[in-house]
Amino acid sequence: MKLTGLLLLLALAAAPAAWAAPGVMIRDESLRSAPSATAAGVGTVARGARVEILGRQGGWTQVRANGRTGWVRLLSVRGGEAARADVAGEIGGVVALGTTPRDPGRVVAVAGVRGLTEDELRKARFDEAQLRQLEAHAVGRDEAARFAADAGLARRDVAHLPAPRRQEGTSPWGGN
Amino acid sequence: MGRELNMAHRWKTPITAALALAGMLGQGQAAALEDVLRGILRGTQPPQTMAPPPQQPPANSAAAPRPGEQLIQALLAGRTSPEEERQIGRQIAGNLLGASPLVKDDGLQRYVNRIGRWVAMQSERPDLQWHFGVIDTEDINAFAAPGGYIFITKGLYRRLQSEAELAGVLGHEIGHVIMKHHLNLLRQTQMVAAFGGLLGQRLRDQSQVLQNLIGNGAEIVARSLDKEAEHEADRIGMVLAARAGYDAYALPAVLQSIGHVPAQDSRLALLYKTHPHPEDRIARLSEAVEAGGHALPDGKLVENRLYRLK
Repeated sequence: MKLTGLLLLLALAAAPAAWAAPGVMIRDESLRSAPSATAAGVGTVARGARVEILGRQGGWTQVRANGRTGWVRLLSVRGGEAARADVAGEIGGVVALGTTPRDPGRVVAVAGVRGLTEDELRKARFDEAQLRQLEAHAVGRDEAARFAADAGLARRDVAHLPAPRRQEGTSPWGGN
Repeated sequence: MGRELNMAHRWKTPITAALALAGMLGQGQAAALEDVLRGILRGTQPPQTMAPPPQQPPANSAAAPRPGEQLIQALLAGRTSPEEERQIGRQIAGNLLGASPLVKDDGLQRYVNRIGRWVAMQSERPDLQWHFGVIDTEDINAFAAPGGYIFITKGLYRRLQSEAELAGVLGHEIGHVIMKHHLNLLRQTQMVAAFGGLLGQRLRDQSQVLQNLIGNGAEIVARSLDKEAEHEADRIGMVLAARAGYDAYALPAVLQSIGHVPAQDSRLALLYKTHPHPEDRIARLSEAVEAGGHALPDGKLVENRLYRLK
C-alpha cells in the first residue's frame, strides 16, 4: 500500500503538467510578442490580474491573460501563495509547495541522484589537497577583465537596491 | 558542592534562552543582543578566559597567524582582519571540499573563476583573494565562506542556461561575503558560547581553534542565515551582475527554475532548509527593484559561452 502511494506520488510529480501554473500580476505590464523589451506589444495586463504562467526565457515569463498570450518581465508576475493554494487543491496537496508544474521533460526522482545531507557535512574532514587545487585556479583581475571584454561585457554604474519597506510576509515557508 | 550545582543551574537557563534568541532575532536585534552579551561577558567571564593568551613564538614569518584566542577575541569584537577572515573561510572551504570534491574539469573551474572574479570586481571588496569552485554533487545549491571562498554545486550549474545566470548566482554568494553574513553568524554563536563560559578550554594550534570555531566539519553551510540576509544577497547579486554587464534578471530566472523542481526532491533539502522559498525571494526582489525607483540597465545573457559540463 505504501509503495503504491509512493509510486502515485512520483507519477503525479513527474507527469508533464497538463495545467499551467496560476500567477498574479504585481504591476501593470505590457504584454510583448517575444521575450525582449524591444518586441512589439500585443496588449496590456493590469496589476492584480490573474494569469496563467506558461514558461520562461531569460528574465521573461510567458503568460496567458484574458485569452491573450505574451511575455512580461519575470519580476512582474508572482506565482505566489494564491497560486500555490490552487495547485495544492488541484492535486490533493500532495506535491504542494514549490511545484510550479510547468517544466516538461523533467524527471523527479532519479535513482541514486540525491543531495548533500547534513550528516555528510558534519562528518566532513578538511581536504588540503582539494583546497590547493581550488586555490590553483584563482584568476587575477586582468585576466577576468580580458575575458569579460571578449564577450563585450563592460562595467556599468548601478546603485545598490534598497531593502523594500515591508513587514515579514505570512509565507508558510517562513521560519526555516 | 552545593554551590557548584547551584552555579550550573543558574547558567543553564540563560544559555538556553540565548540560544533560542540567537535563532529568532533579526540583524538589528541580534546586534543589540551582542551588546548585552558583551556587557555580561566583561562582568562575569571566568578568570581563566580573561587571562592573556600564552605567548607563543610566531610559527614562521611575519604572516604567521595571530594566536587562536586573539582570533576569537577579534571575532567577538567584530574586528576580524582580512587575513583572519580568510583563515576562517579557508577552514570551512577545506571541510566542504572534504564532503564534496571539485568537479575534475580544469576548464570548468577556470571558467567559473574568470566569471566569478569579474563579478566580484564590481563589489565593494574587489581585492579579496576570491576563489570559486564547482563541487561534484547533484545537490542544487551554492555556498559562500568568509574571505572569498565560493562554491556552486554541479546540480545547480547543470540548470544554468546562460553566463548571466552563473553571474547572478555567484553574485548572491559574493553578497554574503562582502556583507560578512557568515562571520556575523559565527560571532553570534561565539557570543553564546562565551556566555556559557565554553571558551575556557585552551586549544593549542590554530587549526584546532578554527575547527572549534566553525563546529563539526562543514555543518556551518547547513545553518540558516537570517532570512533578511538572503534577500539582501539576492539584491546584491542582481546589482553586481548588472554592473558586470549581464542581464540582472538572470538571477530571478534561476530562482524560478529552482522553484520548478518539486520541493520534495532531496537535492533541494539543504537549500530549502536554509533559504526562503524561491517565490518569496522573487517577490522580494520585485519589490526591491520597484523601491529602487530606477530600471536596472539591460544587459547581456551570454548564452553561447556558458561552459557545458562534460
